[in-house]
Amino acid sequence: MSQEHVTGRKSQNGKPKVAFFDFASCEGCQLTVVDALQTHLDLLDAIEVVNWREAATLDGWDFDIAFVEGSITRPHDEERLRRIREQAKVLVALGACADTGCVNTLKNLLPPEEVRRYVYGDRAEWYETYAARPLSAVVKVDAVVPGCPIDIEEFVEVVKALLVGKRPPIPDYPVCVECKMKGNVCIFHVGGICMGPVTRAGCGAICPTYGDGCEGCRGLIPHPNENAMKDVLDEAGLSVDDIMHYFTMFNAYREVGTGKWE
Amino acid sequence: MRLRILPKEQVPGMVRALMADYRVWGPKAKGPQFAFEPLYDPAEMRLDYNISILSPKVALQPPQERIAVFRLGDGFTVEPVIEAEPTVIFGMHTCDLHALALLDKAFSADFPDAHYLERRQKTLIVSIECLQPCDEHSFCKSMGTWTADSGYDLHLIDLGETYGVYVGTGAGEALLTKYAQARPATDADVRRLNEVLSAKWPRFQHRLNFDAAELPSLLATAYDHPIWAELGERCLSCGSCTNVCPTCYCFNVIDSPDLSLKEAVRLRRWDSCQLDEFARVASGENFREARAARQRHRMFRKGKWLYERFGELGCVGCGRCIRACLTHINIVDTFNAIHASQHRR
Repeated sequence: MSQEHVTGRKSQNGKPKVAFFDFASCEGCQLTVVDALQTHLDLLDAIEVVNWREAATLDGWDFDIAFVEGSITRPHDEERLRRIREQAKVLVALGACADTGCVNTLKNLLPPEEVRRYVYGDRAEWYETYAARPLSAVVKVDAVVPGCPIDIEEFVEVVKALLVGKRPPIPDYPVCVECKMKGNVCIFHVGGICMGPVTRAGCGAICPTYGDGCEGCRGLIPHPNENAMKDVLDEAGLSVDDIMHYFTMFNAYREVGTGKWE
Repeated sequence: MRLRILPKEQVPGMVRALMADYRVWGPKAKGPQFAFEPLYDPAEMRLDYNISILSPKVALQPPQERIAVFRLGDGFTVEPVIEAEPTVIFGMHTCDLHALALLDKAFSADFPDAHYLERRQKTLIVSIECLQPCDEHSFCKSMGTWTADSGYDLHLIDLGETYGVYVGTGAGEALLTKYAQARPATDADVRRLNEVLSAKWPRFQHRLNFDAAELPSLLATAYDHPIWAELGERCLSCGSCTNVCPTCYCFNVIDSPDLSLKEAVRLRRWDSCQLDEFARVASGENFREARAARQRHRMFRKGKWLYERFGELGCVGCGRCIRACLTHINIVDTFNAIHASQHRR
């Protein structure tokens, strides 16, 4: 993120002004922020929300920090995102759709005409869509809050980091680290499948802690050993197709980019 | 050392009584495996466990702990946080006991670590003799850690209907006197002890193909060995090998302010030399960027460097890293392969 202190442009009460926007998403990450406001009441002492369609009747454009949920799926989304980017001192991708493209980018694996027919039927030509992509494919993104959905505590940590002008402490190590620190039984040791060894931590290994394998919603770590991971999945009995499904469910954009659409 | 005899039926009552005065950690079932956790009911304790997922070091060096609090008010204040409570670790195996001796040295050297040492000082250890190897990955016999004659306050040996108890310290003696009614051993008890220990011997196999005392000098010849590249290809850099290791103690320090920015806590959290960013320094340089170099670093720590530093090998043969590794990186096979190749020359 920019070295410049985000608190440089404060409202009169001394709090940074914050806006929330969304593109293609389920809006669940913003709902998680609403949840965070209930468990961390001091959030509203620290920031001033000036624009938030989902949770307030505010539509101000004088914001410092923009949290943007959702992936970009239509050419004309780009114009709105660029407007947000021009105004924001700091632009944060909120959640997996904005950060990695998430499940929206699964459509990039399929032929465009097939997808458009499936979704819009005989009105397909009415709708202008293109390959789904993360925000960073269109504008510069200063910080991310990964995950589908985001983790409340991590969101609060990101806010704190922005308040002091530091790079948010998003882990660059895999879920296994947090899973071991919790003393969990390894999912592979009980016959399960888990993407934890290559997936970015920060969720507190929530899925393995409750007995489900990680599905990679937080995106992959910066330098995953993909070959070794594929060997692990192969040994666990997955076919080549199934291995690809695990690598693409949340991370198709990383694997194929815009895929069959361009 | 005088042997005492503790009837097994006394153990639940002893643990319950201890729980009133101490936090008592013991092995509990966790799915099909075992974990050292605080006990809330003596019936949860499984002294028949084979190996715990994490070593009992979790009671002394927790995965995350607060070490200081900062406050901004009229001035700037920093207060250390030392979280230590009277603790008993019950049922520690001797491999972990040997590991604890190394952790004690590491946290006492140079800058004595008040957080660890205060906790350690308030902790009593009741260990238990293993009568069979945990599984095929145990190599405690090769590392000389399959038994112990010190490091514990009390040491139990399963004699069938009773536990034979060795008292290692005055604190152990006091604990046994206050919380149980052990009796002196009879000749028959001593004969039974000898039978049990004699039967133990052949059940354990040497798995290193050479004397562990040769490890430091063997590794000294192996810095450029081709095996590191091979391990680097396989390593996921997930850090599981070090997180489960009873002698690994590296940590990272994180400052976390509250939302008012008037108060902050300094946390320390386990770190791992196997992670990508572990060796990144302030200039931006990462001096151990390759997985191969990181695996070599781990093996050298276990087999050479900790020995040179503290006089103890960094590996106690518990086999946890082998069980945890999804790509089958095996420290015994690695050491044996290096030994074999150096002897072929």
